[in-house]
Amino acid sequence: MSGTQAPNHKDDAALIARIRAGDQSAVADLYDRYAGVVYGVALRVLASTTAAEDVVQEVFLQLWRNPQAFNADRGRLAPWLAVIARNRAIDLLRKRPPEDDIDEMPISTGVNLEDEASQKLVVDKVRGILVGLPQDQRKVLEMAFFEGMTHTEIAGKTGQPLGTVKTRIRTGLLALRKVLA
Amino acid sequence: MNAHPQFAEALALYAMGTLDDPKDLAALQAHLGTCGDCRRELEALRADMALLALSAVGPQPPARSRERLLGAVAAEPRLERRDPQRYTVGYLRQRWFTFAPVMVMLMLAVFSILLWRDLRNTRRTLRHTHAQLEQVQAELVRTNSELAEAKMVRDLLHAPDAWPLTLVSKKTPPQPQIKTVYSKQQGALLLMASNLTPLPENKIYQLWLLPADGSAPMPAGWFKPDGKGNGMMFHKMSAGVIAKGFAVTIEPAGGSQTPTMPIVMEPAG
Repeated sequence: MSGTQAPNHKDDAALIARIRAGDQSAVADLYDRYAGVVYGVALRVLASTTAAEDVVQEVFLQLWRNPQAFNADRGRLAPWLAVIARNRAIDLLRKRPPEDDIDEMPISTGVNLEDEASQKLVVDKVRGILVGLPQDQRKVLEMAFFEGMTHTEIAGKTGQPLGTVKTRIRTGLLALRKVLA
Repeated sequence: MNAHPQFAEALALYAMGTLDDPKDLAALQAHLGTCGDCRRELEALRADMALLALSAVGPQPPARSRERLLGAVAAEPRLERRDPQRYTVGYLRQRWFTFAPVMVMLMLAVFSILLWRDLRNTRRTLRHTHAQLEQVQAELVRTNSELAEAKMVRDLLHAPDAWPLTLVSKKTPPQPQIKTVYSKQQGALLLMASNLTPLPENKIYQLWLLPADGSAPMPAGWFKPDGKGNGMMFHKMSAGVIAKGFAVTIEPAGGSQTPTMPIVMEPAG
């Protein structure tokens, strides 16, 4: 999140309130805070700067059109935008038709993302956890998350049993939770 | 987590949008409509995904991206949502409406399957019953036919004008004659007699079964001929006795357990 200010929960709620009120400058503030999150995730999935820019454009425009999609009482913007960006990027990657609206997707996280230092700490921890996972499990988790592959496709590609793939995806996610909770 | 273990792995795939089995997807969505624990676990899994996504944060978009976005926002007037109520009813209620069609479809599918199974079983039972009914009807027809035939035979034999006549060689005078039909399997015996010598009031003709194993003669019924020496008898006895022949003696009225000599009638030849 280099280059971004230190957003907090109140800031998120205030930003969304301004967008709801039709304040276009709030979109600029939103972009300045979170463009790195959306772009970084989209670029990781799509491996294309142009396509990643399209995702940034689409995600922020849709939040401008429908700010009610984000509920500040049920989560924070950074993780919410990260998941929205990932899902949009996967849709593009898998050539699925784009949806007209962004998801009203509650995300509950107990992780402290209130300031830039906290976010950097979280990102470093997550990367450390991923590196610490067994290689097979990390590969399966990344194929599912960053490539949007189904467990059937992953099993076919890696030769691992279906049940093993499903278990590795879930336990990989849970590994992140246990350490950070 | 308090989520249901049977949905644990499907929940993770669902959170990622990669649960591709339609049945699993429908079952999970229906379950999520009724299970708060699993909905909370789904939110937690999305938080895990968010952490995973944040691991990719770092690169910054080019400056033109910001200009492009703000230009698009300026060019696009705010569209008022037509359904503000949608955002005041709460997440849970919205999800309920989302899952309702799936739940209804699932319930209809289950109901249809149950109905189909009932119908299949009913049809099977009906077919079986119908087959049994046809069999009973066929047996009834056959029994009625046999009964009618037996009744005709009986009526003929008992008809007042019944004229039993045995044709023999022209030079041979009428001889006493007894004809028997015996079924070992049914333990039944039919006897028809003609031209027998009339007996005193206290005497009868008694038939004896001569077992093939050489054991003692067995009583096989008795009868008293009419004034013309004719008679008929139907006798039931133990089934399975193999007979090598029959014999007739004259016994006291009421019959005997052992034959009284002499034998007055025996198989020809």
